Amino acid sequence: MPSDLDRQIEQLHRCEPISEEDVKKLCIKAREILIEEANVQTVDAPVTICGDIHGQFWDMVELFKVGGFCPETNYLFMGDFVDRGFYSVETFLLLLALKVRYPERITLIRGNHESRQITQVYGFYDECQRKYGSSNVWRWCCEVFDYLALGAIVDGRVFCVHGGLSPNLQGIDQIRAIDRKQEVPHDGPMCDLLWSDPDEISGWGLSPRGAGFLFGADITRRFAHDNAIDLIARAHQLAMEGYKLMFERTIVTVWSAPNYCYRCGNVASILELDENLAQDYKVFAHAPSDVRSIPAKRPPADYFL
Amino acid sequence: MLPPPRHTEIRAPPDGDAAIRATDSDAALARLSAVQKQYLADPFIRHFVPRAHLQPPRPPLINVGTYVRAEGIDKLVDQWLSLAEQEGTDCQIVSLGAGSDTRFWRISSGPRKASLKAYVELDFPEVTMKKAMAIRKSKDLSAVLGSPDEVRLASGGMALHAPTYHLIPADLRKPPSEIFPPLAGLLSPSHPTLLLFECVLVYMSSAASAAVIQWFVDYFSTPSSSDGGCGVLGGIVYEMFGLEDSFGRVMKANLQARNVSLPGAEPYQTAQSLPSRFLQHGFTMSNALTLRDIRRAYVDPAEQERISHLEMLDEIEELELVLAHYAITWGVKLPRESAALQAKWADWGLRPVRTT
Repeated sequence: MPSDLDRQIEQLHRCEPISEEDVKKLCIKAREILIEEANVQTVDAPVTICGDIHGQFWDMVELFKVGGFCPETNYLFMGDFVDRGFYSVETFLLLLALKVRYPERITLIRGNHESRQITQVYGFYDECQRKYGSSNVWRWCCEVFDYLALGAIVDGRVFCVHGGLSPNLQGIDQIRAIDRKQEVPHDGPMCDLLWSDPDEISGWGLSPRGAGFLFGADITRRFAHDNAIDLIARAHQLAMEGYKLMFERTIVTVWSAPNYCYRCGNVASILELDENLAQDYKVFAHAPSDVRSIPAKRPPADYFL
Repeated sequence: MLPPPRHTEIRAPPDGDAAIRATDSDAALARLSAVQKQYLADPFIRHFVPRAHLQPPRPPLINVGTYVRAEGIDKLVDQWLSLAEQEGTDCQIVSLGAGSDTRFWRISSGPRKASLKAYVELDFPEVTMKKAMAIRKSKDLSAVLGSPDEVRLASGGMALHAPTYHLIPADLRKPPSEIFPPLAGLLSPSHPTLLLFECVLVYMSSAASAAVIQWFVDYFSTPSSSDGGCGVLGGIVYEMFGLEDSFGRVMKANLQARNVSLPGAEPYQTAQSLPSRFLQHGFTMSNALTLRDIRRAYVDPAEQERISHLEMLDEIEELELVLAHYAITWGVKLPRESAALQAKWADWGLRPVRTT
């Protein structure tokens, strides 16, 4: 298997999809690994924390140039691997192949786009259909999504989650009690972890996204205090400068999709935590246009004309 | 037999023009999508989109933006018609770069039908010819125009005239003295008249845009020989602006790749600069709002609630970033002897329904 897997990693790193049969095997193997992981996976520093990728494969290659490749660098990806970009298939499968090959050197946690419902609206389903001629690959990937961890904790001090907090969860221990192996529900604690956003409010607020909640500085500080953590690292929201620290540095948004949707004009970042958990944000721009960042027969960029 | 010689002397239009005309199909598809997803109600748009039932929906962000744009402009136009009613007169609407717009049909099948004295649409000949054909082909569209013997094609099928509705081919970048004379017989200079520019001036030079607006200002400042009065002139511009930031630069590059350039956005780098569009022509008042502002504070909460449930919109930051680069600007020019006016034309504008 390792030699096959190394070959697949090489192939995917060139942005070439692997065969349907290989995807099936990879997904089965990945599930065997992920099922053993905790809802809140324990990770040791040093680690490099990444936010949304959204199928922007060539920009993820830039990310690996900036942060180093796996296994040399220990990675933690906070979800939203798929949808929106042109290469969700290659992006997710490369990350998954790395997970299977180096399970101790890369952690993948679930984003709100790792869901059957959302991927049918935002592109991953259509991309699988287009690239494999059936929905099998999409189905197998969705089964893997159900096994992804909901969060991670680095050296007991940095809590990582895709979206944010939930009014139904006071402690990290309560997250461990969730039965996570299911499609992302429309509400409840599991949904909130993947959908919520920090905001300049006090207490809890309704989310304009239609799922999850908004939470203020008071909620964030109490959660950090009660769980003895220094920082909440999350993704989920576009940050034009690549990252955004809030509430006196108790929470940070890390965004890793530069020029998001090939339209937003933003830069991206990754967060490197050294062995003492010191934070170093590495900012990077989108892949140069002379690499195949956008397919030749690209769909027109969406604007109002 | 040899094939006939190719007519190489017939020059194809420059690519840029075809690309600009294609922006109309894009807008029509966006509107169709918003209608199919129930953001908007418009029974007419499908007649202007070939194979409408086969068109895939646009992404939720585009549907929401299309809704906000339509909501803002519809409100302004409806208020304009209502002001005319209060004034005790009927009014005229001139839609420049009208494309596949269905506004005439929506007004004419609605409660303010009687307020409309004339509705004139201008666009590239290629666009008006397509539109005239679509109108002739559809019973639903034709029926609104009046009885068949009152509707006639002109200019070899590029123009269409009905009692209230007029479709006229024109390249708006040409000097107004060349393109607007046909309007003189159709528009009364003493009636309230609203100019609509939806995503059209941005594709032209500022000089050409200014010449278009100034032509109307002059036309409506000259007392008509029949009744001696001067009409209230209003204008609505909807388009992108503020394109010197990183989002704007990407937009310009992406559209340039489709051969669309946006020279008209150049003078408008901030929302504050937008009213100068009309104020530089001596308009009495002008205001502007971005689509982001309109979505946040000018959409009725019940409507906001309704559309938030139509589709799951996952990214608010991206939506706001996009919407912040589009604005609706409106302005009104009152005639010199405005004391005699009955309606409060200077109050025309969008009103917030809640504070941000």
